[in-house]
Order: sequence, then structure tokens, then C-alpha cells
Amino acid sequence: MEGMGYLAVAYFGMLVAISLWTYTVVRRSQRLEERMAALESVNASAATDVAPNDEATAP
Amino acid sequence: MKSAGVVLFAGFAGITTSMLLALLWAPSVSIDAFESPAAQRIFYWHVPAAWAAFIAFGALFIGSAGWLFKRSERMWRLHVAGSEAGLATGLMTVWSGCVWGAAEWGTPWDWTDVRLNTFGLLTLLAIYVVLGRNSQPDGVETRDTFAAFGLYGFVLVPLTYIATRIWTIRHPGPVVGTDDGGSINGDMGLVLLFSAVSFTVLIVGHMMASMRLTLLEQKLQRLQAKTDRVV
Repeated sequence: MEGMGYLAVAYFGMLVAISLWTYTVVRRSQRLEERMAALESVNASAATDVAPNDEATAP
Repeated sequence: MKSAGVVLFAGFAGITTSMLLALLWAPSVSIDAFESPAAQRIFYWHVPAAWAAFIAFGALFIGSAGWLFKRSERMWRLHVAGSEAGLATGLMTVWSGCVWGAAEWGTPWDWTDVRLNTFGLLTLLAIYVVLGRNSQPDGVETRDTFAAFGLYGFVLVPLTYIATRIWTIRHPGPVVGTDDGGSINGDMGLVLLFSAVSFTVLIVGHMMASMRLTLLEQKLQRLQAKTDRVV
């Protein structure tokens, strides 16, 4: 049974490693989506800020 | 991400179930034929991980060729996904093999065994491609360089596959897919098949997620450039 104990630890270690790898992939994806949403909102607000100025300076 | 997430979850549930089946349900091997019969059960992880690694290296090869010959962005994303999945599954295979080797042979690695060394080189290639690509700015030259490594490095895959058929040194020969129908017990074969399918699903899910991640990174770069121009 001692051998089975070591084997269970080895299996469990690999499962934890795969879980961490999967977590990093999911987390990276979430961070990228958050950054994209932030940049899109900056672009949108910049566009609304620029529009009135364009009208004001138009001849 | 939703479809990749579902596939990933299914693969993860599958490999967890195969681990339990391998530990609790799969029959024992003969104690006369093995130095460490309990350690043999890591075979249900080691072989499917190697199978998944071959799928990942196949994706790396197709992605590299697709980038070099077609200049396809989708193929570049497949190259990235294949190299990352190849690295992870390669490390899983090497690690589980070392655990098994240490228990069965008394040494985790044999430098004279062809299969061990060609597979080790394949994993080193994946480490080089992943770390090298992440350390360089994205561009045509960088992509061409790493795609060439992915393309020519694939020669190690068939070499690794046939290694134990030609040179049986320390690593055991094939137990499935042989001319005599294989030497594996029915229940063992069932657990092995279930584990191989689970690893395939997991690695496909990871490659789908990784391809989407690369797409998001590319979109973010374009959006950042646009923002820099506007602000």
C-alpha cells in the first residue's frame, strides 16, 4: 500500500499542476477582456470629447 | 471562451475519473514481471499524456507550416497553441516517466535509451519555442524563426514513435496497436482508452482556449495602437 500512496501523491500533484495551468489560461483571458473593455471605453469617451470640439472649430 | 471552457471542463473531469479508475479499479499486474507493480499504474497517465503530446506537436507542425507557406493568422495561432500544449503535455509525460522509471528501473532517466532522449529533445524544443517566442517582439522574422523550429522539430515525433519498435533498450515496447493484438488485459485497455480520450479532450480544449487568447492579444494590440493615436 506504500507504493500506492506515493502513486496517489504523484497523480494528485499532476492534477494540481494541470489545474494551475488551466487557471492561468482562464485568468489571462479574463484580464485581456477587462483591458479590452477599458480601452474601448477610453476610445468611446475620447471620440465623444473630440466631436464637439470639431464642431466648434469648424468654419 | 465558453465552448473552450466546456471542452476543458469535460477533459478535466475525464482525467480526474481516469486517475480514480487507475488507482481503484484497474487490475494489478503480475508481481513477478514488475519490480514495482503499484508504480505501473502511472501508465494510465503516462501513455495518454504522451498521446496528447503527439497531438499537440502535430498541431504545432500544421500551424508552423500554415504560417510559413500561407501566412495565415489562424495557423499562427495554432502554432502558439500547439507549442504551449506540447510543452505542458511533454512535461507531464517526462515527469510521469521519471516517477515510473525511478520505481521500476531504480533510475529516473537512461541516457542510452533512444525513446527517452528523442522525447526529451521534443519537450526541450517546446520549451525553447514557448520561452523564445515570449521573449521576442511579435513580427514576421520572429514568427518565421519559431515556425521553422516547429516545422523541422516535428521529425522527432515519428522518430520517437518508432524508437521502441527498432531499438528496445530500457523503455518497454508497444502494448497496443501491435500485429499480435497487444499484450494488455481488457479492463486495463478500457481504462487506458478512457484516459486517452480524456487527455485528447483536455488538450483540444486547451488549444481552443490558447488560440482565443492569442486572438485577444492581437486585438488588444490593435486597440492599444488606435487608443495611442486618439488620446
